[in-house]
Amino acid sequence: MRDRVRLRFLIFGIAVLFLLTATMIILVAGPQGQANAPAGGQRGGEGRGRGRGAPNPLLSQPAPRLPDGTVNLGRVPGELGIWQLPYITNMGDRSRAVGAPPAPARGEGAARGGRGGGQIGGGEGTAGGGQRGGAPSEPWIPFQPWAAAFYNYNSLNNSKYDPEGYCLPPGGPRLFATPYPMEIIQQPELKRIIFILEGGTRVWREIHMDGRSHAKADAIKGETWLGDSVGHWEGDTLVVDVVGFNEGTWLDYFGHPHTNQLHVVERFTRPNKGTLHYEATIDDPGAYTKPWTVAWDIPWGANAELQEYICQENNAYLNRLTDDFGQPIIGGK
Amino acid sequence: MKIRVLAVLVLAMVVASAMPVLAHHSFAAEFDTTKPVNLVGVVTKVEWMNPHTYFYIDVKDAETGQVTNWACEMGSPNGLTRQGWTRNTLHIGLVVTMEGTRAKDGSNRANARNVLVDGKKLGAASSEGVTP
Repeated sequence: MRDRVRLRFLIFGIAVLFLLTATMIILVAGPQGQANAPAGGQRGGEGRGRGRGAPNPLLSQPAPRLPDGTVNLGRVPGELGIWQLPYITNMGDRSRAVGAPPAPARGEGAARGGRGGGQIGGGEGTAGGGQRGGAPSEPWIPFQPWAAAFYNYNSLNNSKYDPEGYCLPPGGPRLFATPYPMEIIQQPELKRIIFILEGGTRVWREIHMDGRSHAKADAIKGETWLGDSVGHWEGDTLVVDVVGFNEGTWLDYFGHPHTNQLHVVERFTRPNKGTLHYEATIDDPGAYTKPWTVAWDIPWGANAELQEYICQENNAYLNRLTDDFGQPIIGGK
Repeated sequence: MKIRVLAVLVLAMVVASAMPVLAHHSFAAEFDTTKPVNLVGVVTKVEWMNPHTYFYIDVKDAETGQVTNWACEMGSPNGLTRQGWTRNTLHIGLVVTMEGTRAKDGSNRANARNVLVDGKKLGAASSEGVTP
């Protein structure tokens, strides 16, 4: 009898947990409609004054264009502005795969105002940590077994070994999911596009638009943190093909891994003046059994500018970081 | 019925505790979300540095009179600037109130969520307020 009661409690407990998880996914993935609000931590510029839900006039204005007619992914002359990159902690939540939680509708901001930006993807402090579901909670992600195990490990230890905690750059699509602003500078006359990022350890990326092929993989720097990017326009979509990543980064804070076989195809569009839509197909046969795609919107922060962020200045976190046996990572025996 | 109320309460707690987030490093690995800490103290040192600004406050125990120095972690200067902070917001000798989360290792270190300066509440650009 007692066992039966216990069993009933157990089943009830599991049901409540399941319900909580499902509700949380809906809660965190749902209300992201405020494209006008800046990403978490990126207050400033135009976003500050506007209330949640107030219409953003930029969303009804067409994307600006360069004199040659190409879509302008950056500022227009006489105006300031930056892309307010959202904080997406889990690419699994942004997957377009069957079975994945619904992605926010196109045209909606990926970021929410104020503290909202921080909760996208579930947030790391969920229930005090230690309750992330790992690979079993993301059956739509085509993990290789080792990648699932790696991901589970990162889930259990709250991503304490995240390379970004070491002030290393974000990996692949994570560059646009680390919540510091970005600018895109198009130089058609030089056949290149430059991304400059305040965060992600203040990095920049050059997209070669001159029709060249990828750098040779056997170059000494054939494997780099940000990879080798070549791009072209398909109508109003900028398509960027990236290979040549090293294995020093993760795809996200939650710890989806990748290998040096990672091949990312990115698609950037600007459906209106206030939105940059980003899509990335992650093709890494070293870590996943098939390609998978993530997507989100990045809101424009008018009147705002980049600032300095030098992560390496005083990374005290590393001095306190211990390994699984409690020994210090830095300065240990 | 009771169970339903309980479920709603539990849900509210889980959602509330899902708030703290840092972009730079793992929040949950360093801070104990079940240990909120509110402190009133006198500023003894300020370090406007990346990836985290720190300020230190002397906190006096109301009963014993014993003074303890606490290290309070905030976001980086770029995030703080966007939240309205300037170099003059904090200075040595100023009395401030800090709302945050205590370090897991039990040391006198906390992640600041908000700081009250001269009656004005400022987000600390790190955890619950607005990310990094």
